[in-house]
Amino acid sequence: MASAVLTDSRWIARGAERTSLPRFLLWLAPWAALLVVGIYAAGLCLYYGLNQTNMDNRFAFGLWIFLDLGIIALGAGAFFTGFLVYILKRAELKPILNTAVVVGFICYSGAIAILMIDVGQPLRAWFTFWHPNTHSMLTEVTFCLSCYLLVLCLEYIPILLRNRQLRRLPSFLIFEHQLHKLVPVLAAVGALLSFFHQGSLGGLYGVLRGRPFAFREGFLIWPSTFFLFILSAIASGPSFLMLVTAAVEKVTGRRLVSQEVFRRLALISGVLLGIYVAAKSIDTLIWLNITSRSVGFAPWQFYMHKPFGTPILFAEIVLFGLLPAFLLTFRATATRRAWLLSAAALACAGVLLNRFVLTVQTLALPTLPFDDFLQYTPSWQEVASFAGVIAYGVIVYSLSYRYLPMFASKGDDTHVSGN
Amino acid sequence: MSARYGMVIDLDRCTGCGSCMVACAAENNVPALPQASARTGLTPILVYRASNGMEGNARRETFIPIMCMHCEHETPCVKVCPQQAVEVDKATGIVMQMPQRCLGCRYCMTACPYHARYFNWWDPSWPAGMEKSLNPGVAVRMRGVVEKCNLCHSRLHAAQEKAAATGKREIDPADYLPACVEACPTGAIRFGNLADASDPVSQEARSPQAFRLLARIGTEPKVYYKSKEPWVKALAESNPARSSEVQHG
Amino acid sequence: MFPGIDGFHWTFGHILFLSLFFAVALTILFTITSAIRRTARDFRTHRAIDFCWHSDFAELPEADRRCRHELAGRVISRTCDNAFDCRHCEKYSQFAVLPATGNVSALGLDYSEDRYYHRGHTWVKPEEDGTVTIGLGELAKHLIGTPDSVKMPEIGDAIELNQAAWRMKKNGKEIRVRAPIEGTIVGIGGPQEGWYVKIRPRLDLKEPATLRHLLRGAEVRGWLGREMERLQLQLRAPNTPPTLADGGVLLPDLMNAVPDADWDTVLADTFLEP
Repeated sequence: MASAVLTDSRWIARGAERTSLPRFLLWLAPWAALLVVGIYAAGLCLYYGLNQTNMDNRFAFGLWIFLDLGIIALGAGAFFTGFLVYILKRAELKPILNTAVVVGFICYSGAIAILMIDVGQPLRAWFTFWHPNTHSMLTEVTFCLSCYLLVLCLEYIPILLRNRQLRRLPSFLIFEHQLHKLVPVLAAVGALLSFFHQGSLGGLYGVLRGRPFAFREGFLIWPSTFFLFILSAIASGPSFLMLVTAAVEKVTGRRLVSQEVFRRLALISGVLLGIYVAAKSIDTLIWLNITSRSVGFAPWQFYMHKPFGTPILFAEIVLFGLLPAFLLTFRATATRRAWLLSAAALACAGVLLNRFVLTVQTLALPTLPFDDFLQYTPSWQEVASFAGVIAYGVIVYSLSYRYLPMFASKGDDTHVSGN
Repeated sequence: MSARYGMVIDLDRCTGCGSCMVACAAENNVPALPQASARTGLTPILVYRASNGMEGNARRETFIPIMCMHCEHETPCVKVCPQQAVEVDKATGIVMQMPQRCLGCRYCMTACPYHARYFNWWDPSWPAGMEKSLNPGVAVRMRGVVEKCNLCHSRLHAAQEKAAATGKREIDPADYLPACVEACPTGAIRFGNLADASDPVSQEARSPQAFRLLARIGTEPKVYYKSKEPWVKALAESNPARSSEVQHG
Repeated sequence: MFPGIDGFHWTFGHILFLSLFFAVALTILFTITSAIRRTARDFRTHRAIDFCWHSDFAELPEADRRCRHELAGRVISRTCDNAFDCRHCEKYSQFAVLPATGNVSALGLDYSEDRYYHRGHTWVKPEEDGTVTIGLGELAKHLIGTPDSVKMPEIGDAIELNQAAWRMKKNGKEIRVRAPIEGTIVGIGGPQEGWYVKIRPRLDLKEPATLRHLLRGAEVRGWLGREMERLQLQLRAPNTPPTLADGGVLLPDLMNAVPDADWDTVLADTFLEP
């Protein structure tokens, strides 16, 4: 029990074993370096303009929009877990709730940070609030994302205030207690907001009359992609939480949640994924045979350009959709973590592929009869900015895990190996 | 008594000289950016080159100038702009873009099926001395906003001021001509009020040889094309699956 | 957003959308202002103080939450579930408390019978004039030795049960000395007198419940025994097994004598910090 020269044990909950401070800083160092590179790349884009990226007039949306949509979909675990625990009273998911909130916070704050760099005039972001266009899905996205980020901050604050030193201040302690009592309200509001913005992100593409590859009919003003995006988000959210928790367990060498929690998440994810695959298949058939035909497209015409051939459609629906849905719900795999995690990874990859297809493939395809199929490769600034967001996420989660009670039981994380 | 300004472009007369592009750039203070490429350059009017896909003696080519089509119905860019920086002007039918309100989110660029919208990827700049040739009637746009053809709205303003100075309410149609129309050496681009049945351009637009691009999408564009060559009309109404030689002017 | 803004056209869609948005925004605003208002209300009433101690108590390790009756041998094993609030303990009547008999001495430390002892290592001594003196227990004094700095309250300040009576600093560690009884400060003792405060208690000393929550007499022996055992394990040299005491003398300044021990944990267990 010798105290190291450099120690922060005052800040760590009593009884919680955490690695020494020097080792922790060593873990953070490469991520911090990556974050610095990301900030530099983002700074270049803000200072010199978006010519630093490889986006152009034909690829107006690029890597950033694709990855933004991706991490918002993966971060859906936050609202969905909150909804399940507080509204549907599924208490067995409580151990994962704090992780869900922090992951959601990271995903949404990272996405909004990237969006601020992605737009040409970030300082005009408030214009959408002052002159909203209710016909536009993007207005809806802007409103909902801002509100939801606020909700996530409010849900993160109680977790933050449970830090050993911060809770010694009576005002923080009482405030945390009172805010925690109101979290069900926030969970309900969060669920409502998330339902709408996950959907609207899909609606962004479904309403594009000029892009028959993306355009869908739907229900009233909402194209079918609105509902498909919601389904795919809530299907992949729990899977992503499983992957994050497994990664944290691997890094810390501790078993943090029971197999039962994993099994539940897998079951929820698998069932929703199955429903999503069914809905998507029906939607694809309608789109290929009815919607696109009405503007003169034969189904195979969209898939004529390499490398975006029909294998992509197959991969999206079967390989990354039906297969993981089956693996996640199949009883024999319920006890084997490796299978569950592989299936979860496939599910998350499926969601990312879906977002890619709708953002990048839509723009690559020609719309005019005398037009080209185009390629786009992101520039290093785009990749680095996003890598910076990932580094930011790892740092925030690492700090949260070290100093805050992320996993419900009071400081008695049991050892698994070594560490 | 609102107007519906539109164009009819005779593809049989277009030689692909590009004068329209130069005149547009000069009139609208488009920045002279040597670092821009074919895909990042700012060209509110852009001349495409298309062929019938055959080789040798059977090969036929045509040049197709593309600019904002000023869609009348369910205008895609108007519907998607999150802060209403685009709207269809009720008096003229021109789809107006407000660069001062534009956030630069580029959603309208994704929505436009004609690729008629262009983003300012750089700060505007001109070689030393060239700023003396800027048009004082047109505001320069800042970096990070979207712009497009607005049928030389500044010239409409000038025509209205001229009419008002002589006490008239209506402009003299001869006073309002977009730069590309004025510059075209063969008179391929013709401009007029589509709502006015007596306007010759309006009559041309309603002739059987006139067609519009992507008419099936249903946005009711106000730029018509015409050609006596049947393969051109067939090309215009076909789908992009046809691989054809494409070069930008 | 508002009528009169140039170019803004109100439609049914706008009304629907904006009312929904404002409803959501107001709900979020309501949540945060509600939490702030309730916090302020808790501070105005006594609830904040009680809550602080209950919350800290809940975070203590189980070994620090043994019921006094287990320490006194009246019951085999019991964890306190009432934050040491014997005044309001439903089970109290089951455990009759025998009157104190004689002085208690543990390893030569003086724990006289005219004092009542708090689990946070302070004692309460009722005086003739109706005030009480609060001082630091002997074991705690041996742990801390001479403090680097002490922050005493002012005369006239109010102190609350289980909140800070005074604070001490030693070797960079901060020690919050919990008040064993609530009242108003009427006197302060400095380093020469051994650090104490004199208070006028808020509750009536003639009521038996007022001092019920404090240990006395034979109970103290059981409690001190446990504390000594804990200290022995916590202050031994690292990687050595527990050893029997061989009659050595308790050093007067343990924080300086055993600088390598995990003082965060030792002090937290001793002074009931989570």
